[in-house]
Amino acid sequence: MHKFLSSVAVATLMSGMAFAQSADAPDNLEKLSNFQSTGVTEFTFIEQTGDYADGIKANLEQITMPPGFKIELYAVVPDARSIAVGPQGVVTFVGTRKDKVWSVTDRNKDRIADEVKDFAPSLTFTIPNGPCFSDDGFLYIAEQNRVLLFPAAEFFYESPDVAAFNLIAEGDLIPAEEESFNHSARVCRVGPDDKIYLSLGQPFNVAPPEKLDLYTEYGMGGIIRLNRDGSDREVYTYGVRNSVGHDFHPVTGELWWTDNQVDGMGDDIPPGELNRQTAAGQHFGAPWYGGGTVRVSDHGYDKMEVPVEVTMPVVETVAHAADLGMSFYTGNMFPAQYKNAIFSAQHGSWNRTEPVGARVMVTFIDEEGNATMEPFAEGWLDANGEYLGRPMDVAQLRDGSIIVSDDLAGALYRISYGE
Amino acid sequence: MKGVLPCLGGLLFAGAAFAQDLPVGDLDAGRKVAGQCRTCHGLNGFARIPIAPHIGGEPAEYLAAQLQAFRDGTRAHEMMTVVASGLSDAAIADVSAWYAQHQVTATLFADEADAPEGCVSCHGAHGIALIEGVPNLAGETNIYIATQLKDFRGGKRTHEVMSSISADLSDDDIRALADWFAAIELDIESND
Repeated sequence: MHKFLSSVAVATLMSGMAFAQSADAPDNLEKLSNFQSTGVTEFTFIEQTGDYADGIKANLEQITMPPGFKIELYAVVPDARSIAVGPQGVVTFVGTRKDKVWSVTDRNKDRIADEVKDFAPSLTFTIPNGPCFSDDGFLYIAEQNRVLLFPAAEFFYESPDVAAFNLIAEGDLIPAEEESFNHSARVCRVGPDDKIYLSLGQPFNVAPPEKLDLYTEYGMGGIIRLNRDGSDREVYTYGVRNSVGHDFHPVTGELWWTDNQVDGMGDDIPPGELNRQTAAGQHFGAPWYGGGTVRVSDHGYDKMEVPVEVTMPVVETVAHAADLGMSFYTGNMFPAQYKNAIFSAQHGSWNRTEPVGARVMVTFIDEEGNATMEPFAEGWLDANGEYLGRPMDVAQLRDGSIIVSDDLAGALYRISYGE
Repeated sequence: MKGVLPCLGGLLFAGAAFAQDLPVGDLDAGRKVAGQCRTCHGLNGFARIPIAPHIGGEPAEYLAAQLQAFRDGTRAHEMMTVVASGLSDAAIADVSAWYAQHQVTATLFADEADAPEGCVSCHGAHGIALIEGVPNLAGETNIYIATQLKDFRGGKRTHEVMSSISADLSDDDIRALADWFAAIELDIESND
């Protein structure tokens, strides 16, 4: 009986699969790589005014910041995640954990975006969380298991068809059987050495011992780097749980990054992390450490001798606050104390008894390299413990203001000083 | 073909039996338990983040079976495994009852005739389940649906019907199915 019914179900399905594409038809990525038209002509535009935008603006009245700073709605951007500001200041690209990358344009330069539309609508994206730019205008978009490259994206994005190429083809970033949805929000940056740095989360709360060799090989639970032609991939950072934000110190060139730490150990441990990396190949403790110096009991990791030399975080943050995207501040608009400070987003906890986070943090670094983090903009967590918004990433515009993405409200905010 | 459907329903009903050992769920208690769920799934079960499915209006036996599977390790997820490990049988019954009592409405913008034939007999062209114990798919993020199908295909998640249905699907097939259900608009209303 059981067997018969399963067969029937499969037969029904097979007859219903007529819509599957022929293997011979070139897909749209292949066409775009050959500078051919895909035939896709329609953009999806996002309404920038009206009740929804007004609701977000009303919520921003709750946000508190140091004196002199102002926060405004910059753009309505659904599911807004990591941000890449074009080096010419023409367009800002915003990733999502769904299937779209949004292009955001402030055409009249009044510091409020006028147009938000989907980028490269003929392409099928899967968790395109992480866009980043090189100084010479190449856009990279890191997805769940692929990295695409778009030359002159600030020019081509006005058309539905763009020039697009594989940097890391589908299935080559991580083994397909290790794909997950949650810890697959990649972040990408081009470093001072002109290499691309990509964070790769691992798909567990605590990775089991039998997976560690494979993950070490691919740099899962780590940060990898490679040349801009895709060559010389190597693991740059080991012992990461799930990092969703990194940037390079503008003076020292060192890589700093946030990490999300182990769940299920209680409300107050382990701490979240801000890390400073001073050399290639350093190990930051996962999975033997769950965050800071807290050992992990899952799989008996706390009973094992730690087999690597571990670099501890420079800042331990509030447990479960979810420190995500970050950028060093190099602009001239903000007071001098903010020069070379880090602005970072705390997304907010998801299972803490008393929620914490949902704010923008600032980290000051003194001449000895000591870092202190404090809240900069807060108020997205209301008195009922309900989120009005969840900041995810911070980026700097060319005028020295910063923009903050919020993937709950679906928005970009602009924070300026003295305007 | 239609003639086999009642049998298929019977099979699924039997397949959901392991959730039946739970106590009867209490709505007020379930609303309190849902405080742990709401940051991701919403208090009414309309998800607030893409990685989480909409669970408002899902059948209680489906929700309870999934929470039990996360708790006993037969289904794994980096967040849900942690959440479910702390839930008692009563809490699972209560929170399942809370989310199940919501009313769902699905609005289809595409031509119903184009619905993926292999899915509709159980999940409906609108993504609202037609038989007991089966989840609604309307409005779920396409990548959520695709992730589940790939998990069934690869054996990370098992189900007597879904494991065989997914076995021969290509990644493109999966994405097309997922896109169909993701494009349906879902509304969830509370009965309380």
